[in-house]
Amino acid sequence: MLMTHVLDLQFGDRIVTLMAALVLVLQIAMVAQRWIVIHIRIFAAQSFFLAMIAATIAWFNHAPHLYVAAALTLVVKVVLVPILFERLVKRMEIHEEIEPIVNGPLSVVIAGALTLVGYVVAESFYRSDEPGLGHNALAVAISLFLIGFFTMINRRKALTQVLALLSLENGLFLAAISLTYGMPMIVELGILFDVLVAAMVLGILVYRIRETFESVDVSRLRRLRG
Amino acid sequence: MLLIALLLVPVVTAVASFFARRRAAMEALNLAGFGVVFLVAIALAARVLAAGTVSLANGFFYADALSALVVLLTASVALVCSTYSIGYLRDDQQSGALGDDASGEQIAQLRMYYSLTPLFVFSMLFMAVANNLGVMWAAMEITTLVSVFLVTFYGKVTSLEAAWKYAIIGGVGLSMALFGTLVAYYAGRGLTGSAALSGLNWSVLAQHAAQLDKTSMRLAFVLVLMGYGTKAGLAPMHTWKPDAYSEAPVPSAAILSSALLNCALYCLIRFYILTSRCLGAEYPGRLLLLFGLLSMGVSVPFVLVQKNYRRLLAYHTIDHAGIMVTALGLGGALGSLGLMLHMVFHTIAKSLLFLCAGNVSQHFRTDLFSKIKGGVMRAMPLTGVVFLMAMLAIVGMPPFSLFQSEFLIVRAAMVGGHVLTGVLFVLFGTGVFAGALLHIGNLVLGPSGDAPIAPPRPWRNGSLLALASALVVIAFWVPAHLLELVRQAAHVVSGQ
Repeated sequence: MLMTHVLDLQFGDRIVTLMAALVLVLQIAMVAQRWIVIHIRIFAAQSFFLAMIAATIAWFNHAPHLYVAAALTLVVKVVLVPILFERLVKRMEIHEEIEPIVNGPLSVVIAGALTLVGYVVAESFYRSDEPGLGHNALAVAISLFLIGFFTMINRRKALTQVLALLSLENGLFLAAISLTYGMPMIVELGILFDVLVAAMVLGILVYRIRETFESVDVSRLRRLRG
Repeated sequence: MLLIALLLVPVVTAVASFFARRRAAMEALNLAGFGVVFLVAIALAARVLAAGTVSLANGFFYADALSALVVLLTASVALVCSTYSIGYLRDDQQSGALGDDASGEQIAQLRMYYSLTPLFVFSMLFMAVANNLGVMWAAMEITTLVSVFLVTFYGKVTSLEAAWKYAIIGGVGLSMALFGTLVAYYAGRGLTGSAALSGLNWSVLAQHAAQLDKTSMRLAFVLVLMGYGTKAGLAPMHTWKPDAYSEAPVPSAAILSSALLNCALYCLIRFYILTSRCLGAEYPGRLLLLFGLLSMGVSVPFVLVQKNYRRLLAYHTIDHAGIMVTALGLGGALGSLGLMLHMVFHTIAKSLLFLCAGNVSQHFRTDLFSKIKGGVMRAMPLTGVVFLMAMLAIVGMPPFSLFQSEFLIVRAAMVGGHVLTGVLFVLFGTGVFAGALLHIGNLVLGPSGDAPIAPPRPWRNGSLLALASALVVIAFWVPAHLLELVRQAAHVVSGQ
């Protein structure tokens, strides 16, 4: 009984869809979140489910290199980046509350609308003649990308903008594994390495902005004009 | 072998400079490293001219005439700027712009500059010879990450702001480019070997371009245009550019505005070739014309009212990014040739302009027109003459060569039946011509204040003279080999 499930593609598709839905819910939770530390942890949880999706697709589609992508995501986005950022928050002693430009409830509604857009766009890629995993995942991926964009615009604090950028990149990762079952190995390695370095670079920048301005409110960065 | 040397030398230079203890050692290492890179780039160009393409490691590295041209331009700019930066940073050290000497801040700053610059150059060279579109993307991302630290070099409030804008806008832009790359990979998934690494190889995709999935390629091109367009500074994604160029050390700004612009355009060109072979030239062409003309148009008012001459140059670069993208959009044999020639000429003239601006900036200690008023010609005659000459060249005055390339582009527009494009091109060109020449003319020839006469500055003026003579020579005589390389690169772009 269990064995048949473990090999059944449709069952795999359901698992992927379920986890993609969780990823989407977490993205929307991030939009409404008011506390930076919780924001970071939601990001870690989202990345964890992403890694699980990669592992599931690897299992059901016999794409072993996706296991590597999953493991790397686990190390970089679930462990390293959140630890780095939580330390940064502690060290900078920043005021932990996020002040979004558009208020919480309204931004959740906007996020919902963006999800709808994601589904419409993904529709043009859907092919009924091609069986496989993760068609829902593509719609979710595009939604993540769009909501990530919106979150970036909606945030004033430097660190939350970085988190939004990273969740936008999570959307890309999901698109990569659901569209093509992963890019070639070396490309994925390069991309994850870049994400790690980018997180570090942005972290350093945030720290220096904090030291110089005594604030991480990027709306104060408005000297350069014209 | 050549390709390995090309990539290895800058990395070795960066590591060695990082561990060097004295300033003289860092300077010598950088100079030697970039000298070798320049020679290797010439050798690579010669090899490509002889053999057509060079590839290595199962096609992981791949260089055709287009890559060789971009590599050659990058290496030349890097060599000139490394010579210039010796004088520039010594001046900064004396004036205290690099912090306290006693606490070792100065040497730390110098170490950062001299090890980051080779890394920056490495990432650009890597991008130009990477065959895999994903690897090309990763190299482009590294250019951003490295150059962010060059923008924050002086650690001022404004440089942090500029770096933040650059990192965030660049990061979002590049994530769109990655999405586009992914969709392009999806478009080619049915082709042979696409599951393997080579499925994202440009040379493989270009061979099978006609069989790529058309819907996906449409989406891919839009995403890539927005993505790499952000890096190239096309309007409306250009806002990081004036900030980054005016805050980075001048030699870095020169590399950013000439070599990095070429690299961003290079990525765009690679995708343009794929898309035009898959969908025909009209679809990508129209999008490129839109963004190109928009960038040219947006830069005109900012050039006209600009108060800061380094920001003026930045808006000027946005204008030229627009010109080159317009040329790409026009396509065909004429448009491509115009594009490639313009890339060569713009690289020389724009880096020269930044180096001149650096001399002025260090002598007068300000970047504002209103504080200098004029008299650059009296205080520093050589810089004044070269500055004015380079400005005349870049706004497209004959006999300088940018006139030829811009004329070619207008002709391509007229021949191709894009009359409106041609008219707008000339109109915007005139606006920039008036604005830029007026400002720089005043700066150089205007009534002189009481600024002291500048002392001789061998490193900086040497590199200035080298570039200036290249600009003059190339106006009348383009070396036959270079012209052949340009022709072949244009052939890669247009396919005819």
